[in-house]
Amino acid sequence: MPEFLLLLHEDPTNWRTVSPEEMQRALEQYFAWTRKPFVLGHEHLAEDVGKVIRSRDGVPRAADGPYSESKEVLAGFFVIEAADYEEAVARSMDHPHLAYGTIEVRQIQRHE
Amino acid sequence: MNEVDGLLEHLFRHQYGAIVSRLVRVLGSAHMDFAEDAVHEAMLRALKTWPRRGVPGNAPAWLTRVAYHAAIDRLRRQRLAGYTTELVESWEAPEMEPLEDDELRMIFLCCHPAIARDSQVALSLKIVAGLSALEIARAFRVDEVAVTRRLTRARRQIREHGLALDTPPLSFERLSAVLDVIYFMFNEGYAALEGQDLIRRDLCFEALRLGQLIAASAVATPRVHALVALMALDAARLPARTDELGDLILLEQQDRQRWDQRLLALGLDHFQRAIGGDDHSRYHVQAGIAVAYAATPDLAAIDWRAILQLYDSLYAMDPSPIVALNRAVALAKVEGPAAALDAVEALRDRRAVRDYHLYVAVRGHLLQQLGRTRDAAECFRSALDMRCSEPERRFLLGKLAECVDSAGIGNS
Repeated sequence: MPEFLLLLHEDPTNWRTVSPEEMQRALEQYFAWTRKPFVLGHEHLAEDVGKVIRSRDGVPRAADGPYSESKEVLAGFFVIEAADYEEAVARSMDHPHLAYGTIEVRQIQRHE
Repeated sequence: MNEVDGLLEHLFRHQYGAIVSRLVRVLGSAHMDFAEDAVHEAMLRALKTWPRRGVPGNAPAWLTRVAYHAAIDRLRRQRLAGYTTELVESWEAPEMEPLEDDELRMIFLCCHPAIARDSQVALSLKIVAGLSALEIARAFRVDEVAVTRRLTRARRQIREHGLALDTPPLSFERLSAVLDVIYFMFNEGYAALEGQDLIRRDLCFEALRLGQLIAASAVATPRVHALVALMALDAARLPARTDELGDLILLEQQDRQRWDQRLLALGLDHFQRAIGGDDHSRYHVQAGIAVAYAATPDLAAIDWRAILQLYDSLYAMDPSPIVALNRAVALAKVEGPAAALDAVEALRDRRAVRDYHLYVAVRGHLLQQLGRTRDAAECFRSALDMRCSEPERRFLLGKLAECVDSAGIGNS
Protein backbone atom coordinates (compact mmCIF):
# COMPACT_ATOMS: atom_id res chain seq x y z
CA MET A 1 0.00 0.00 0.00
CA PRO A 2 1.43 3.44 -0.91
CA GLU A 3 2.46 5.67 1.97
CA PHE A 4 1.85 9.39 2.36
CA LEU A 5 3.51 12.03 4.46
CA LEU A 6 1.24 14.63 6.06
CA LEU A 7 3.23 17.75 6.83
CA LEU A 8 1.49 19.83 9.50
CA HIS A 9 2.12 23.54 9.07
CA GLU A 10 0.87 26.06 11.57
CA ASP A 11 1.15 29.62 12.75
CA PRO A 12 2.17 29.18 16.40
CA THR A 13 0.38 32.40 17.37
CA ASN A 14 -2.91 30.67 16.55
CA TRP A 15 -2.59 28.87 19.86
CA ARG A 16 -2.26 32.00 21.94
CA THR A 17 -5.95 32.52 22.66
CA VAL A 18 -7.01 28.88 22.89
CA SER A 19 -8.58 27.99 26.24
CA PRO A 20 -7.48 25.02 28.38
CA GLU A 21 -10.73 23.24 27.55
CA GLU A 22 -10.17 23.67 23.83
CA MET A 23 -6.59 22.42 24.15
CA GLN A 24 -7.85 19.38 25.93
CA ARG A 25 -10.45 18.77 23.26
CA ALA A 26 -7.70 19.07 20.63
CA LEU A 27 -5.57 16.64 22.63
CA GLU A 28 -8.38 14.10 22.70
CA GLN A 29 -8.92 14.53 18.97
CA TYR A 30 -5.23 14.01 18.27
CA PHE A 31 -5.30 10.87 20.40
CA ALA A 32 -8.27 9.56 18.49
CA TRP A 33 -6.68 10.33 15.15
CA THR A 34 -3.33 8.75 15.95
CA ARG A 35 -5.19 5.50 16.69
CA LYS A 36 -6.75 5.24 13.25
CA PRO A 37 -5.70 1.95 11.63
CA PHE A 38 -4.04 3.59 8.62
CA VAL A 39 -1.69 5.76 10.71
CA LEU A 40 1.85 4.34 10.57
CA GLY A 41 3.66 6.97 12.62
CA HIS A 42 3.72 10.58 13.76
CA GLU A 43 5.93 13.10 15.53
CA HIS A 44 5.66 16.66 16.71
CA LEU A 45 8.62 18.95 16.26
CA ALA A 46 10.15 21.19 18.91
CA GLU A 47 9.04 24.78 18.81
CA ASP A 48 12.16 26.48 17.51
CA VAL A 49 13.15 27.74 14.11
CA GLY A 50 15.49 24.79 13.49
CA LYS A 51 18.63 24.85 11.40
CA VAL A 52 19.18 24.84 7.69
CA ILE A 53 22.43 23.74 6.10
CA ARG A 54 23.47 25.15 2.77
CA SER A 55 26.57 24.57 0.78
CA ARG A 56 28.21 27.56 -0.79
CA ASP A 57 31.27 27.09 -2.98
CA GLY A 58 31.45 23.53 -1.75
CA VAL A 59 31.51 24.58 1.93
CA PRO A 60 28.43 23.53 3.97
CA ARG A 61 27.25 26.08 6.51
CA ALA A 62 24.41 25.94 9.05
CA ALA A 63 22.13 28.84 9.84
CA ASP A 64 18.88 29.36 11.72
CA GLY A 65 15.89 28.56 9.63
CA PRO A 66 14.29 27.88 7.34
CA TYR A 67 11.27 29.55 8.87
CA SER A 68 12.76 32.50 10.72
CA GLU A 69 11.15 34.94 8.30
CA SER A 70 7.72 33.43 7.85
CA LYS A 71 4.74 33.03 10.14
CA GLU A 72 4.11 29.38 9.35
CA VAL A 73 6.30 26.65 10.73
CA LEU A 74 6.43 22.90 10.23
CA ALA A 75 4.96 21.63 13.48
CA GLY A 76 4.95 17.88 12.93
CA PHE A 77 4.18 15.05 10.57
CA PHE A 78 2.15 11.88 10.16
CA VAL A 79 2.80 8.90 7.91
CA ILE A 80 -0.36 7.19 6.68
CA GLU A 81 -1.28 4.43 4.27
CA ALA A 82 -3.68 5.05 1.39
CA ALA A 83 -4.38 3.62 -2.06
CA ASP A 84 -3.74 6.93 -3.81
CA TYR A 85 -3.76 10.70 -3.32
CA GLU A 86 -7.52 10.80 -3.43
CA GLU A 87 -7.84 8.39 -0.54
CA ALA A 88 -4.98 10.01 1.40
CA VAL A 89 -6.71 13.37 1.17
CA ALA A 90 -10.11 11.93 2.03
CA ARG A 91 -8.65 10.22 5.09
CA SER A 92 -7.05 13.47 6.28
CA MET A 93 -10.12 15.65 5.95
CA ASP A 94 -11.03 15.22 9.64
CA HIS A 95 -7.50 15.67 10.98
CA PRO A 96 -7.66 17.82 14.13
CA HIS A 97 -4.69 19.90 12.95
CA LEU A 98 -6.95 21.54 10.36
CA ALA A 99 -8.46 23.66 13.11
CA TYR A 100 -5.07 25.29 13.72
CA GLY A 101 -3.11 25.11 10.45
CA THR A 102 -2.70 23.50 7.06
CA ILE A 103 -1.72 20.00 5.97
CA GLU A 104 0.55 19.29 3.06
CA VAL A 105 0.03 15.78 1.65
CA ARG A 106 2.99 14.15 -0.16
CA GLN A 107 3.34 10.63 -1.46
CA ILE A 108 6.47 8.81 -0.34
CA GLN A 109 8.39 7.54 -3.36
CA ARG A 110 9.20 3.85 -3.26
CA HIS A 111 11.67 2.33 -5.73
CA GLU A 112 10.93 -1.27 -6.47
CA MET B 1 -9.82 7.11 23.23
CA ASN B 2 -12.00 6.12 26.17
CA GLU B 3 -9.24 5.59 28.69
CA VAL B 4 -7.99 9.05 27.73
CA ASP B 5 -11.44 10.56 28.10
CA GLY B 6 -11.86 9.08 31.54
CA LEU B 7 -8.45 10.19 32.69
CA LEU B 8 -8.66 13.68 31.32
CA GLU B 9 -12.18 14.83 31.92
CA HIS B 10 -11.83 18.60 32.21
CA LEU B 11 -8.29 17.99 33.47
CA PHE B 12 -6.80 20.98 31.68
CA ARG B 13 -9.50 23.38 32.72
CA HIS B 14 -9.43 22.28 36.33
CA GLN B 15 -5.65 22.13 36.54
CA TYR B 16 -5.28 25.51 34.87
CA GLY B 17 -6.58 27.44 37.87
CA ALA B 18 -4.79 25.20 40.33
CA ILE B 19 -1.37 25.54 38.69
CA VAL B 20 -1.69 29.25 37.93
CA SER B 21 -2.62 29.78 41.57
CA ARG B 22 0.41 27.85 42.72
CA LEU B 23 2.76 29.79 40.45
CA VAL B 24 1.24 33.11 41.49
CA ARG B 25 1.83 32.26 45.13
CA VAL B 26 5.53 31.82 44.35
CA LEU B 27 5.89 34.63 41.81
CA GLY B 28 3.65 37.18 43.46
CA SER B 29 0.34 38.38 42.14
CA ALA B 30 1.99 41.10 40.04
CA HIS B 31 3.12 38.30 37.73
CA MET B 32 -0.28 36.78 37.21
CA ASP B 33 -0.28 36.99 33.42
CA PHE B 34 3.20 35.57 33.45
CA ALA B 35 2.02 32.52 35.38
CA GLU B 36 -0.90 32.14 33.01
CA ASP B 37 1.45 32.10 30.01
CA ALA B 38 3.61 29.43 31.62
CA VAL B 39 0.65 27.14 32.28
CA HIS B 40 -0.63 27.71 28.76
CA GLU B 41 2.77 26.71 27.44
CA ALA B 42 2.80 23.54 29.55
CA MET B 43 -0.58 22.51 28.22
CA LEU B 44 0.51 23.17 24.66
CA ARG B 45 3.54 20.97 25.31
CA ALA B 46 1.23 18.23 26.58
CA LEU B 47 -0.90 18.56 23.49
CA LYS B 48 2.16 18.05 21.30
CA THR B 49 3.86 15.23 23.20
CA TRP B 50 1.17 13.16 24.89
CA PRO B 51 -0.38 11.74 21.70
CA ARG B 52 3.06 10.31 20.85
CA ARG B 53 4.30 9.22 24.27
CA GLY B 54 1.07 8.65 26.12
CA VAL B 55 -0.43 10.46 29.10
CA PRO B 56 2.05 10.53 31.99
CA GLY B 57 1.05 8.63 35.11
CA ASN B 58 0.53 11.74 37.20
CA ALA B 59 -0.69 14.20 34.59
CA PRO B 60 -1.30 17.15 36.98
CA ALA B 61 2.21 16.80 38.42
CA TRP B 62 3.65 16.67 34.89
CA LEU B 63 1.81 19.87 33.94
CA THR B 64 2.91 21.61 37.15
CA ARG B 65 6.53 20.69 36.59
CA VAL B 66 6.58 21.79 32.95
CA ALA B 67 4.78 25.04 33.78
CA TYR B 68 7.21 25.67 36.59
CA HIS B 69 10.19 25.24 34.26
CA ALA B 70 8.54 27.40 31.60
CA ALA B 71 8.05 30.13 34.19
CA ILE B 72 11.69 29.90 35.30
CA ASP B 73 12.85 30.15 31.68
CA ARG B 74 10.72 33.22 31.17
CA LEU B 75 11.95 34.82 34.37
CA ARG B 76 15.56 34.24 33.34
CA ARG B 77 14.91 35.79 29.96
CA GLN B 78 13.21 38.77 31.58
CA ARG B 79 16.12 39.19 33.90
CA LEU B 80 18.48 39.14 30.98
CA ALA B 81 16.32 41.80 29.41
CA GLY B 82 17.00 44.04 32.41
CA TYR B 83 14.24 43.14 34.84
CA THR B 84 15.36 42.53 38.33
CA THR B 85 14.03 39.52 40.02
CA GLU B 86 15.71 37.72 42.80
CA LEU B 87 13.07 35.01 42.77
CA VAL B 88 14.68 32.74 40.24
CA GLU B 89 17.44 31.35 42.36
CA SER B 90 15.33 31.00 45.47
CA TRP B 91 12.69 28.92 43.75
CA GLU B 92 12.20 25.41 44.84
CA ALA B 93 10.53 22.84 42.68
CA PRO B 94 6.87 22.74 43.73
CA GLU B 95 5.87 19.79 45.84
CA MET B 96 3.11 17.66 44.37
CA GLU B 97 0.63 17.84 47.19
CA PRO B 98 -3.01 18.67 46.47
CA LEU B 99 -3.36 22.14 45.04
CA GLU B 100 -6.75 23.11 46.41
CA ASP B 101 -5.51 25.61 48.98
CA ASP B 102 -3.78 27.77 46.39
CA GLU B 103 -6.82 27.60 44.18
CA LEU B 104 -9.02 28.68 47.03
CA ARG B 105 -6.75 31.62 47.78
CA MET B 106 -6.96 32.54 44.12
CA ILE B 107 -10.77 32.71 44.23
CA PHE B 108 -10.51 35.04 47.19
CA LEU B 109 -7.95 37.17 45.38
CA CYS B 110 -10.16 37.40 42.28
CA CYS B 111 -13.06 38.54 44.48
CA HIS B 112 -11.10 41.23 46.28
CA PRO B 113 -13.37 44.19 47.10
CA ALA B 114 -11.01 46.56 45.25
CA ILE B 115 -12.05 44.86 42.02
CA ALA B 116 -15.37 45.70 40.35
CA ARG B 117 -18.00 42.96 40.36
CA ASP B 118 -18.00 42.31 36.61
CA SER B 119 -14.21 42.09 36.69
CA GLN B 120 -14.32 39.77 39.71
CA VAL B 121 -16.54 37.43 37.76
CA ALA B 122 -14.48 37.63 34.57
CA LEU B 123 -11.22 37.07 36.42
CA SER B 124 -12.59 34.13 38.41
CA LEU B 125 -13.80 32.51 35.22
CA LYS B 126 -10.55 33.15 33.40
CA ILE B 127 -8.11 32.04 36.06
CA VAL B 128 -9.94 29.72 38.41
CA ALA B 129 -12.36 28.16 35.94
CA GLY B 130 -9.91 28.19 33.02
CA LEU B 131 -12.23 29.76 30.44
CA SER B 132 -10.88 31.86 27.58
CA ALA B 133 -11.94 35.47 27.07
CA LEU B 134 -13.99 34.35 24.07
CA GLU B 135 -15.81 31.68 26.09
CA ILE B 136 -16.58 34.18 28.84
CA ALA B 137 -17.84 36.61 26.23
CA ARG B 138 -20.13 33.94 24.78
CA ALA B 139 -21.43 32.97 28.20
CA PHE B 140 -22.35 36.54 29.09
CA ARG B 141 -23.36 37.60 25.59
CA VAL B 142 -20.90 40.48 25.50
CA ASP B 143 -18.08 40.94 23.05
CA GLU B 144 -14.62 39.61 23.60
CA VAL B 145 -13.07 43.07 23.72
CA ALA B 146 -15.22 43.98 26.71
CA VAL B 147 -14.13 40.85 28.54
CA THR B 148 -10.47 41.46 27.74
CA ARG B 149 -10.86 44.99 29.07
CA ARG B 150 -12.38 43.72 32.32
CA LEU B 151 -9.56 41.23 32.71
CA THR B 152 -6.89 43.83 32.06
CA ARG B 153 -8.51 46.19 34.54
CA ALA B 154 -8.68 43.50 37.20
CA ARG B 155 -5.05 42.49 36.72
CA ARG B 156 -3.98 46.11 36.89
CA GLN B 157 -5.94 46.63 40.10
CA ILE B 158 -4.25 43.61 41.61
CA ARG B 159 -0.85 44.98 40.62
CA GLU B 160 -1.52 48.54 41.71
CA HIS B 161 -3.07 47.64 45.02
CA GLY B 162 -0.37 45.08 45.62
CA LEU B 163 -3.02 42.50 46.37
CA ALA B 164 -1.42 39.29 47.48
CA LEU B 165 -2.55 35.74 47.33
CA ASP B 166 -1.98 34.90 50.97
CA THR B 167 -3.10 37.98 52.89
CA PRO B 168 -5.62 37.66 54.31
CA PRO B 169 -5.26 33.90 54.07
CA LEU B 170 -8.92 33.00 53.73
CA SER B 171 -10.98 35.85 54.94
CA PHE B 172 -14.49 35.43 56.28
CA GLU B 173 -15.42 39.00 55.31
CA ARG B 174 -14.67 38.33 51.70
CA LEU B 175 -16.52 35.06 51.78
CA SER B 176 -19.87 36.63 50.98
CA ALA B 177 -18.46 38.32 47.85
CA VAL B 178 -17.00 34.99 46.78
CA LEU B 179 -20.32 33.24 47.30
CA ASP B 180 -22.13 35.93 45.32
CA VAL B 181 -19.73 35.53 42.42
CA ILE B 182 -20.14 31.76 42.46
CA TYR B 183 -23.93 32.01 42.58
CA PHE B 184 -23.90 34.58 39.80
CA MET B 185 -21.82 32.18 37.72
CA PHE B 186 -24.26 29.37 38.44
CA ASN B 187 -27.30 31.45 37.55
CA GLU B 188 -25.83 32.60 34.28
CA GLY B 189 -25.38 28.98 33.30
CA TYR B 190 -28.73 27.88 34.64
CA ALA B 191 -30.76 30.61 32.99
CA ALA B 192 -29.67 29.39 29.57
CA LEU B 193 -31.74 26.52 28.35
CA GLU B 194 -29.88 25.97 25.13
CA GLY B 195 -28.73 22.40 25.72
CA GLN B 196 -26.25 22.56 22.89
CA ASP B 197 -24.33 25.41 24.47
CA LEU B 198 -21.93 23.41 26.59
CA ILE B 199 -20.04 26.40 27.92
CA ARG B 200 -23.12 27.68 29.67
CA ARG B 201 -24.01 24.30 31.13
CA ASP B 202 -20.40 23.95 32.24
CA LEU B 203 -20.72 27.25 34.10
CA CYS B 204 -23.21 25.56 36.42
CA PHE B 205 -20.90 22.69 37.17
CA GLU B 206 -17.85 24.91 37.52
CA ALA B 207 -19.73 27.05 40.07
CA LEU B 208 -20.74 23.90 41.90
CA ARG B 209 -17.15 22.65 41.93
CA LEU B 210 -15.88 25.95 43.38
CA GLY B 211 -18.63 25.88 45.98
CA GLN B 212 -17.64 22.38 47.02
CA LEU B 213 -14.02 23.46 47.20
CA ILE B 214 -14.93 26.15 49.72
CA ALA B 215 -17.32 23.84 51.55
CA ALA B 216 -14.40 21.46 52.12
CA SER B 217 -12.11 24.21 53.41
CA ALA B 218 -11.50 25.88 56.74
CA VAL B 219 -13.79 28.82 55.88
CA ALA B 220 -16.80 26.60 55.27
CA THR B 221 -19.73 28.17 57.09
CA PRO B 222 -23.36 27.01 57.08
CA ARG B 223 -23.95 29.64 54.39
CA VAL B 224 -21.43 27.96 52.10
CA HIS B 225 -23.22 24.66 52.57
CA ALA B 226 -26.55 26.35 51.86
CA LEU B 227 -25.23 27.68 48.55
CA VAL B 228 -23.79 24.31 47.56
CA ALA B 229 -27.09 22.63 48.49
CA LEU B 230 -29.02 25.15 46.40
CA MET B 231 -26.79 24.72 43.35
CA ALA B 232 -26.67 20.92 43.58
CA LEU B 233 -30.45 20.59 43.95
CA ASP B 234 -31.13 22.99 41.08
CA ALA B 235 -28.54 21.28 38.89
CA ALA B 236 -30.07 17.89 39.74
CA ARG B 237 -33.22 18.97 37.92
CA LEU B 238 -31.38 20.07 34.77
CA PRO B 239 -31.73 16.74 32.88
CA ALA B 240 -35.50 16.79 33.40
CA ARG B 241 -36.06 20.38 32.33
CA THR B 242 -36.24 19.61 28.65
CA ASP B 243 -37.53 16.61 26.71
CA GLU B 244 -35.76 14.71 23.91
CA LEU B 245 -36.75 17.44 21.47
CA GLY B 246 -35.29 20.10 23.74
CA ASP B 247 -38.74 21.43 24.66
CA LEU B 248 -39.37 22.83 28.13
CA ILE B 249 -41.02 20.72 30.78
CA LEU B 250 -42.55 22.55 33.72
CA LEU B 251 -41.59 21.39 37.19
CA GLU B 252 -44.88 19.66 37.96
CA GLN B 253 -44.73 17.60 34.81
CA GLN B 254 -41.11 16.61 35.22
CA ASP B 255 -40.12 12.97 35.45
CA ARG B 256 -38.37 12.66 38.80
CA GLN B 257 -36.54 9.59 37.54
CA ARG B 258 -34.57 11.90 35.29
CA TRP B 259 -33.31 14.04 38.14
CA ASP B 260 -29.65 13.46 38.81
CA GLN B 261 -29.69 11.26 41.92
CA ARG B 262 -26.05 11.91 42.79
CA LEU B 263 -26.55 15.68 42.80
CA LEU B 264 -29.78 15.28 44.71
CA ALA B 265 -27.99 13.35 47.46
CA LEU B 266 -25.13 15.86 47.45
CA GLY B 267 -27.58 18.75 47.81
CA LEU B 268 -29.52 17.15 50.64
CA ASP B 269 -26.29 16.32 52.45
CA HIS B 270 -25.07 19.93 52.27
CA PHE B 271 -28.50 21.18 53.31
CA GLN B 272 -28.22 19.13 56.48
CA ARG B 273 -24.92 20.82 57.23
CA ALA B 274 -26.31 24.25 56.31
CA ILE B 275 -29.06 24.23 58.92
CA GLY B 276 -26.67 23.48 61.79
CA GLY B 277 -25.92 27.06 62.83
CA ASP B 278 -28.05 30.12 63.43
CA ASP B 279 -27.26 31.73 60.08
CA HIS B 280 -30.38 32.33 58.04
CA SER B 281 -29.18 33.67 54.71
CA ARG B 282 -31.02 33.96 51.43
CA TYR B 283 -29.14 30.88 50.26
CA HIS B 284 -30.70 28.99 53.16
CA VAL B 285 -34.17 30.04 52.08
CA GLN B 286 -33.56 29.29 48.42
CA ALA B 287 -32.06 25.92 49.29
CA GLY B 288 -35.12 25.30 51.47
CA ILE B 289 -37.33 25.88 48.44
CA ALA B 290 -35.22 23.49 46.36
CA VAL B 291 -35.43 20.89 49.15
CA ALA B 292 -39.22 21.26 49.24
CA TYR B 293 -39.32 20.32 45.56
CA ALA B 294 -36.75 17.57 45.90
CA ALA B 295 -38.30 15.96 48.97
CA THR B 296 -41.78 15.63 47.48
CA PRO B 297 -42.32 12.09 46.21
CA ASP B 298 -45.19 13.24 44.00
CA LEU B 299 -44.64 16.50 42.16
CA ALA B 300 -48.38 17.05 41.88
CA ALA B 301 -48.52 17.13 45.69
CA ILE B 302 -45.98 19.88 46.36
CA ASP B 303 -46.65 21.77 49.58
CA TRP B 304 -47.17 25.18 47.99
CA ARG B 305 -48.18 26.75 51.28
CA ALA B 306 -44.74 25.96 52.72
CA ILE B 307 -43.08 27.22 49.56
CA LEU B 308 -45.07 30.44 49.71
CA GLN B 309 -43.88 30.98 53.28
CA LEU B 310 -40.30 30.50 52.15
CA TYR B 311 -40.82 33.04 49.36
CA ASP B 312 -42.27 35.43 51.94
CA SER B 313 -39.07 35.22 53.98
CA LEU B 314 -36.95 35.51 50.85
CA TYR B 315 -38.87 38.63 49.84
CA ALA B 316 -38.29 40.09 53.30
CA MET B 317 -34.53 39.68 52.73
CA ASP B 318 -34.50 40.71 49.09
CA PRO B 319 -37.56 42.70 48.02
CA SER B 320 -36.67 42.52 44.33
CA PRO B 321 -39.28 42.22 41.58
CA ILE B 322 -37.79 38.90 40.46
CA VAL B 323 -38.35 37.40 43.92
CA ALA B 324 -41.84 38.92 43.95
CA LEU B 325 -42.56 37.29 40.60
CA ASN B 326 -41.49 33.87 41.85
CA ARG B 327 -43.56 34.41 44.97
CA ALA B 328 -46.59 35.19 42.81
CA VAL B 329 -46.27 31.78 41.12
CA ALA B 330 -46.47 30.09 44.53
CA LEU B 331 -49.30 32.43 45.53
CA ALA B 332 -51.31 31.28 42.50
CA LYS B 333 -51.09 27.70 43.76
CA VAL B 334 -52.22 28.62 47.25
CA GLU B 335 -54.77 31.41 46.80
CA GLY B 336 -55.65 31.09 43.14
CA PRO B 337 -54.81 32.99 39.97
CA ALA B 338 -56.75 36.17 40.84
CA ALA B 339 -54.68 36.93 43.94
CA ALA B 340 -51.49 36.12 42.04
CA LEU B 341 -52.50 38.37 39.16
CA ASP B 342 -52.96 41.26 41.59
CA ALA B 343 -49.46 40.66 42.93
CA VAL B 344 -48.06 40.51 39.39
CA GLU B 345 -49.90 43.63 38.27
CA ALA B 346 -48.40 45.51 41.21
CA LEU B 347 -44.96 44.95 39.69
CA ARG B 348 -45.72 46.24 36.23
CA ASP B 349 -43.84 49.54 36.60
CA ARG B 350 -40.70 47.97 38.05
CA ARG B 351 -37.98 48.28 35.48
CA ALA B 352 -36.34 44.93 36.27
CA VAL B 353 -39.39 42.96 35.11
CA ARG B 354 -41.07 45.20 32.57
CA ASP B 355 -39.08 43.81 29.66
CA TYR B 356 -38.51 40.39 31.20
CA HIS B 357 -40.16 37.73 29.08
CA LEU B 358 -40.91 35.47 32.06
CA TYR B 359 -42.78 38.29 33.79
CA VAL B 360 -45.02 38.76 30.79
CA ALA B 361 -45.36 34.99 30.36
CA VAL B 362 -46.42 34.48 34.00
CA ARG B 363 -48.96 37.25 33.62
CA GLY B 364 -50.27 35.58 30.46
CA HIS B 365 -50.49 32.24 32.22
CA LEU B 366 -52.56 33.70 35.08
CA LEU B 367 -54.86 35.53 32.67
CA GLN B 368 -55.35 32.29 30.76
CA GLN B 369 -56.30 30.49 33.98
CA LEU B 370 -58.84 33.22 34.67
CA GLY B 371 -60.38 32.64 31.27
CA ARG B 372 -59.18 35.99 29.87
CA THR B 373 -57.67 34.28 26.84
CA ARG B 374 -57.63 37.37 24.64
CA ASP B 375 -55.48 39.29 27.17
CA ALA B 376 -53.40 36.18 27.75
CA ALA B 377 -52.70 35.84 24.02
CA GLU B 378 -51.59 39.47 24.02
CA CYS B 379 -49.08 38.70 26.80
CA PHE B 380 -47.63 35.64 25.07
CA ARG B 381 -47.32 37.62 21.87
CA SER B 382 -45.37 40.41 23.55
CA ALA B 383 -43.23 37.91 25.47
CA LEU B 384 -42.25 36.42 22.11
CA ASP B 385 -40.92 39.83 21.08
CA MET B 386 -38.48 39.82 24.02
CA ARG B 387 -35.18 38.04 24.36
CA CYS B 388 -35.65 34.39 25.24
CA SER B 389 -34.10 31.03 24.51
CA GLU B 390 -35.25 28.76 21.69
CA PRO B 391 -37.07 26.23 23.95
CA GLU B 392 -38.81 29.11 25.71
CA ARG B 393 -39.87 30.52 22.38
CA ARG B 394 -41.44 27.20 21.37
CA PHE B 395 -43.16 26.98 24.75
CA LEU B 396 -44.61 30.48 24.39
CA LEU B 397 -45.77 29.72 20.85
CA GLY B 398 -47.58 26.66 22.22
CA LYS B 399 -49.30 28.76 24.91
CA LEU B 400 -50.26 31.37 22.36
CA ALA B 401 -51.80 28.68 20.13
CA GLU B 402 -53.85 27.38 23.10
CA CYS B 403 -55.28 30.83 23.72
CA VAL B 404 -56.00 31.47 20.09
CA ASP B 405 -57.70 28.06 19.70
CA SER B 406 -59.91 28.42 22.75
CA ALA B 407 -60.95 31.99 22.07
CA GLY B 408 -61.28 31.52 18.35
CA ILE B 409 -59.41 34.74 17.78
CA GLY B 410 -57.16 35.07 14.80
CA ASN B 411 -53.59 36.22 14.82
CA SER B 412 -54.49 39.06 12.47
